[in-house]
Amino acid sequence: MKNPLRSEAAAYRFLLGTVVYFGAIAIASTAGGRWAGVAVFVVATVVVLVWFLREPGEKPPSG
Amino acid sequence: MSVHAEAHEHHGPPAAHASSRVDSRILGMLMFIGSEIMLFGSFFTAYFFVRVVNNPPHWPPVGYHLPVFVAGVNTLILVTSSFTMHWALSSIKKGNRAGLQAGLVLTFLMGFTFLFTQITEYARIGFAPHDNAFTTIFFCLTGLHGAHVFVGLTLLMVATVRAFRGHYTAEQHYGVELPGIYWHFVDVMWIVVYTTVYLI
Repeated sequence: MKNPLRSEAAAYRFLLGTVVYFGAIAIASTAGGRWAGVAVFVVATVVVLVWFLREPGEKPPSG
Repeated sequence: MSVHAEAHEHHGPPAAHASSRVDSRILGMLMFIGSEIMLFGSFFTAYFFVRVVNNPPHWPPVGYHLPVFVAGVNTLILVTSSFTMHWALSSIKKGNRAGLQAGLVLTFLMGFTFLFTQITEYARIGFAPHDNAFTTIFFCLTGLHGAHVFVGLTLLMVATVRAFRGHYTAEQHYGVELPGIYWHFVDVMWIVVYTTVYLI
């Protein structure tokens, strides 16, 4: 797993991901009610966790 | 140049030994942001305690209305300011100083607009922090974030002045990189605050 705030560019991508994540939850809960929002929250959180954990981390320094 | 001459060329203390894989300046900012996340976490804990554990019959309480639309426009302004921040840094990485200066000025102006609008809304919102638990936690969470925007604006102002003085190059731009990381963090926290407090 890589640190999402390791650089400005990484923090910018993290911000875009946050917009999509919370936007989806807000739209679902507004359009479909509380439980639709909860369902999107659970699915989006699982997707984000799997993606973060599968992303290769930074290599340790050699020597 | 001889080794002896090289030794006399160097001024100041020797470079610090760094065992971390992360640059010490980035590491300092990351630790600072870590402490900020814990601070916001404690405020969100108080918010959810008031909202979920106390389980009031209505949320917000009857008679209280939040300026969702104005805060939404403010959210758009703040997210857009992150785009210009990223543009500023991308510009200086290519050696484009004009792009850096324009990006930083735009980012500062949008951040200032956000803060000014928030203060104006506080004056017009129609309730005070001491009214009840809802109003207290509302002002605490949004005010905490506003304080972070103020800190971010201070960092941006320093970076902007330095940009106009020509302090940054395509190779040396940590003075923009670090405020950029902080600014994106402040934006991320606002999206969490806005979604939690205003939308759901």
